[in-house]
Amino acid sequence: MDKIEVTLYVNNKKETLQVDPTERLLDTLRNRLKLTSVKEGCDVGECGACTVILNGEAVHSCLVLTAQVDGYEIFTTEGLEVNGKLDPLQQSFIDHQAVQCGFCTPGMLMSAKALLNKNPNPSREEIKTAIEGNLCRCTGYQQIVEAIESVTQDKKG
Amino acid sequence: MIEYDFLTAKDVDAALEYLHKYESIKVIAGGTDLLVDIHKESSRLEKFDYILDISNIKALQFIDETEDSVELGPLCTHTMLINSKIINKYFPFLVTAAKSIGSTQIRNRGTVGGNISNASPAADLIPPLMALNAEIELSSVNGRRLIPLDNYIVGPYKTSKNHDELVTKILIPKVDENYRFSFQKIGRRRALNIARLNLAVAAKINKKDLKIEDIRIVPGSATPFPVRFKNIEMEILNKKSNELNLEELAKKIGDEMVNITGERWSTPYKKPALGAIFKKAIIEITNSSDSDSH
Ligand SMILES: Cc1cc2nc3c(=O)[nH]c(=O)nc-3n(C[C@H](O)[C@H](O)[C@H](O)COP(=O)(O)OP(=O)(O)OC[C@H]3O[C@@H](n4cnc5c(N)ncnc54)[C@H](O)[C@@H]3O)c2cc1C
Ligand code: FES
Ligand code: FES
Repeated sequence: MDKIEVTLYVNNKKETLQVDPTERLLDTLRNRLKLTSVKEGCDVGECGACTVILNGEAVHSCLVLTAQVDGYEIFTTEGLEVNGKLDPLQQSFIDHQAVQCGFCTPGMLMSAKALLNKNPNPSREEIKTAIEGNLCRCTGYQQIVEAIESVTQDKKG
Repeated sequence: MIEYDFLTAKDVDAALEYLHKYESIKVIAGGTDLLVDIHKESSRLEKFDYILDISNIKALQFIDETEDSVELGPLCTHTMLINSKIINKYFPFLVTAAKSIGSTQIRNRGTVGGNISNASPAADLIPPLMALNAEIELSSVNGRRLIPLDNYIVGPYKTSKNHDELVTKILIPKVDENYRFSFQKIGRRRALNIARLNLAVAAKINKKDLKIEDIRIVPGSATPFPVRFKNIEMEILNKKSNELNLEELAKKIGDEMVNITGERWSTPYKKPALGAIFKKAIIEITNSSDSDSH
């Protein structure tokens, strides 16, 4: 198996790597770049714990080969925090007790962030649709939806 | 673990050259079907030595309108269909179908070309595209051919594509404004123990006398692979929409399914369920046709 050279822009940092053809974006982010917010859950696109933002869109990093995304921009939860300050979305998750065991949280944050980047003022329905691919075994979703809702443009300020 | 080498193509010609050169090669687009199969080492996967990534071929991602048709690039994602003005205008039930697929992450990454080429009996875009008489353009280094989607899907997870061919276009003929559409679906993929079903219906209803001048009925997950239920279509054709006996038709469509598949473990569930969504579809279509004429 020949290795493939790829350049990724991860949380605004350029990374050039040699990857195996079978390496998933999930493996690259977790194992090589040590971005362990990206969680490994089901490995088949059903739990959403591995969600990252790829060129602006929320996707499952367990279902993308790293070799496919040469030159792409990737955001993980590590990229939300700027200069030690939490993103308003992260703060809101804490304030609304939307984090319990925390396993689903990074993926949830990425789905929510991708939505808010495109649509700063989503409806409750749109929020629910955006996170329908993120399973949470702990919270019952109510607190999560409220946490996201409270940082939409209407609710801010 | 399944091992392979990775090839990538930035344009169609390069992809076709690879497909011509190597026999044991598997195309990857969004990867949402293929990478699951690889991860699970699915017995459906034939052995392959190379994966050919086409996901970065920009020229295969378009939604265009010509005078008589709408043309889709195979790399259109489900999200692109949902957001497309053209698709919303001409084929709204394709939007309904795309919205029902997986989750936001899957819709952002999964493609139309992948959905039809994987040829799952449950694929949600196949029934509406079949009801629209969509045609598939297959390209190879030797040229291009256009075949009806009905001839592309030839079995469960089986297409009539040659190993050196690539889907390069999906062509959907436009229909006149008297056509009405419905897409119905029950069951979710995650709930694997619940048998799921979907159904696409397209019908042309004469506004003056409500006569059904054309009808195309394609259930998904009901048969080993989606096919038009022509016997049921014949029962309905040229009748008036307000005179249909829905109870009787619902029973007949269930019987037709069993005629094709024989009795299965899922039959007691699927037979009445198919009848029920069929009734819903016909009611939806005839209601929307009525409201136009007022
Ligand atoms: C959690 C989850 C939920 C899902 N839910 C649904 C659902 O509700 N409904 C549904 O219909 N599907 C669902 N799917 C299946 C899948 O997402 C779709 O079928 C998707 O459209 C496949 O597209 P892809 O680009 O990811 O295909 P890939 O995985 O890249 O490819 C699939 C197959 O098509 C072939 N192929 C792809 N493009 C071409 C081309 N241009 N020419 C020739 N061959 C090609 C590949 O070689 C492969 O055999 C789900 C999948 C997951 C993981
Ligand atoms: S690990 Fe990717 S969706 Fe579960
Ligand atoms: S907080 Fe535990 S899974 Fe969501």
